[in-house]
Amino acid sequence: MSGTLDGLQVGESAEIIDISSDCTRAGRMSTLGFIPGRRVTVTRLAPLGDPISVEIDGQEISLRRAEASLIKVK
Amino acid sequence: MTMATLDSKKSSLSSNTLPLVALVGNPNTGKSTLFNRLTGLRQHIANYPGVTVEKKSGLLRIGHQDLDLLDLPGCYNLTAVSRDERVVMDVLGGRHGLRRPDLLVFVVDASNLKRNLLLASQCAELGIPAIMALNQCDAAKRNGIHIDTVLLAKQFGIPVVETVATRGRGVDDLKSAIVNALCNPSFLPRIQWPECIAKGCQVLQTGVKDLGGDGVTQAEALRVLFDNDSVFTCGISDKICLKKMVDAAHQDIRGLGLSPGSAEAVLHYRHLESLLDGVVTTSGSVARSHESIDAILLHRVWGTLIFFVVMYVVFQSLYSWAGPLMDLIDTVTGMAQGFLSPLLENMPVLQSLICGGIISGVGGVLIFLPQILILFFFISLLEDTGYMARAAFLVDKLFSWCGLNGRSFVPLLSSYACAIPGVMAARTLSDPKARLTTILMAPFMSCSARLPVYILLIGTFIEPRYGAFAAGWALFAMHFIGLALALPLAWLLNTFFLKIKPQPFILEMPDYRVPTLRNIFHRMWERGREFVLRAGTVILAFSIIIWCLLYFPRNPSVAEKVRADFSAPSASALSNNALEHRIESAYIEQSYLGRFGKAVQPVFEPAGFDWKITVGVLSSFPAREVIIATMGIIYNLGADVDEGSEDLRTILQNEKWTSGPRVGQPVYTLPVVIGIMVFFALCMQCGATVAIIARELDWRWATFSFFGMTTLAWISAVVIYQIGKLF
Repeated sequence: MSGTLDGLQVGESAEIIDISSDCTRAGRMSTLGFIPGRRVTVTRLAPLGDPISVEIDGQEISLRRAEASLIKVK
Repeated sequence: MTMATLDSKKSSLSSNTLPLVALVGNPNTGKSTLFNRLTGLRQHIANYPGVTVEKKSGLLRIGHQDLDLLDLPGCYNLTAVSRDERVVMDVLGGRHGLRRPDLLVFVVDASNLKRNLLLASQCAELGIPAIMALNQCDAAKRNGIHIDTVLLAKQFGIPVVETVATRGRGVDDLKSAIVNALCNPSFLPRIQWPECIAKGCQVLQTGVKDLGGDGVTQAEALRVLFDNDSVFTCGISDKICLKKMVDAAHQDIRGLGLSPGSAEAVLHYRHLESLLDGVVTTSGSVARSHESIDAILLHRVWGTLIFFVVMYVVFQSLYSWAGPLMDLIDTVTGMAQGFLSPLLENMPVLQSLICGGIISGVGGVLIFLPQILILFFFISLLEDTGYMARAAFLVDKLFSWCGLNGRSFVPLLSSYACAIPGVMAARTLSDPKARLTTILMAPFMSCSARLPVYILLIGTFIEPRYGAFAAGWALFAMHFIGLALALPLAWLLNTFFLKIKPQPFILEMPDYRVPTLRNIFHRMWERGREFVLRAGTVILAFSIIIWCLLYFPRNPSVAEKVRADFSAPSASALSNNALEHRIESAYIEQSYLGRFGKAVQPVFEPAGFDWKITVGVLSSFPAREVIIATMGIIYNLGADVDEGSEDLRTILQNEKWTSGPRVGQPVYTLPVVIGIMVFFALCMQCGATVAIIARELDWRWATFSFFGMTTLAWISAVVIYQIGKLF
């Protein structure tokens, strides 16, 4: 089943397939470790539901739902 | 040998200036702490030419050798999108007359080696000699991460020094490694690009030359290739032709099964993974030290609660703790005036210039220091412990809709005490667009200097007539109105006017760390010094100009006329003191500013202001708290009144129009009173804020902010008065 990162529940993890975004944003996200093939786990949500916090490659990173929706996962 | 290495050789040989060493690294690696350790207080802060990116450089003394050390802005990659990153790229490429470093020191967080080294891998293209400082080794070891430093150095072909910058460990080793590396340079291994990317770069390099652009190195060609809206335009105007070449290369990249956006990171990570094979071993499961703390600090209920407590403490300390220090500065200023004033008795102009212009101007600069120092104490503390990123995470949603982000909270909150430290605190925002918007919104927050105006007017006109409850609500409303207007304005500005692209708000949650006082004090010292030297001079100049406008032309006939009027047999007797107040009032009416106030009074006529209110409003443009003293002078009470003065309150209540259509009617009707307060709430009546905005952004934005806020304040006051008249 494939979807986007913002569709995952807290505690769920998935594998990144692709980042569907312009080069600049994709470049920035991939630099921070969001690259195809890696596993990403949603660790928590902010009190207002956005942004979300995820764990990837041993580091904790927070990103907004708007950006998370660009990351395709399976 | 590549072009790049030749260039760097040339620059180090041809110039007889000191060798230039640059610190390069990700944010949160302890890079600035290491910089402070290496240079001590021998630092210099300036801006890079043409941009408001802070350039931190310092003198590094190793034995008998002096070196120039540059602390480049922290960044994750070379993607030249933001101005910070562009500066890094410009420095490393030696563009725009900037000196190319002779040696790069990569500051790398040992806990996250791979991601930190991505930047180094990109920089390898530049062919500048490099060494590596493996920082925060202690934290990595505690988390069960072991790094084989010898193997790391072997694999990357450059010296590696273990450091713990916060404790100063390894700093001496690093110094000798720097000296050695300047004599025996070693270089990072360059990535082997797939054929099509290498070809794409070559096509770009020759293409750019054919189009008449500056020559570009391979490293720069890669930036054009991978950064869609790179600000790096290689000096050619034919964007369409450039785009064609880039699109062709992107097509080839897709042929490799990669997407152009992430291809660079994917390839670098592959390259790094092969190099790092066997270097990092983790014992068991890596203990995630922040996990248990985050469970509380980022908790939906507890986390939010703790956040508000922390912010309350920060705000209270700005609002209350700074008070005694500010009073002290006031007292010292007063004492200096009291001491010098009698000495200059015979030279009234000089006496007034020194006491009224210069000393109060210097006092007006120093008065901001306590709040700046206290705020930066807390900001450093929150940043260094790792809480700031969490705080931004918690409240981001409140601000994201209008183009700000979670990091705007602290600057905006501090602006409720004073906009000066608030604007300076906006430096913690790395996204230039969000930073710009935060700075422009900061002066809308109702600072403590507005409070006396509210207290005077609410206490005089609202409390006696409508009771304490209404007074409380009025005071709250005055504090809220700025915020209520600022956020929609930020949205408007971001949606329709600012052409800068917003950056994704992606935050790294750093490990929690114990902060060091040394670092915190260093930051306070740095900010305080910068404020006094850079913004302070402008504020002082403002103060002197306003003094001139209020003092000149001081025609003695004005005083003689007042004396003659009151010594006439028919006049009621007046005490000496009261006579002096009358003379002072007459002088201010005759001053350039007083004349100007009378001349522009028609502008404020639609808001129901008479010439006295107009002069009061105008004289408070350099600093809004001046209004009370000016009112005191205008209403013949002298400058020593405060907002609680019963005399002033009685006069205001009984003040009537002496001419015009409303002759005999009270000046201060309810719509006028509310209009004045709203005018003060929204107007940029603070020369210091204008100066600090000019310093943090530029004069164009400062001017925009000044005229924008003043216009908005005027419109609001007019609307309130005109609507109020209908009832």
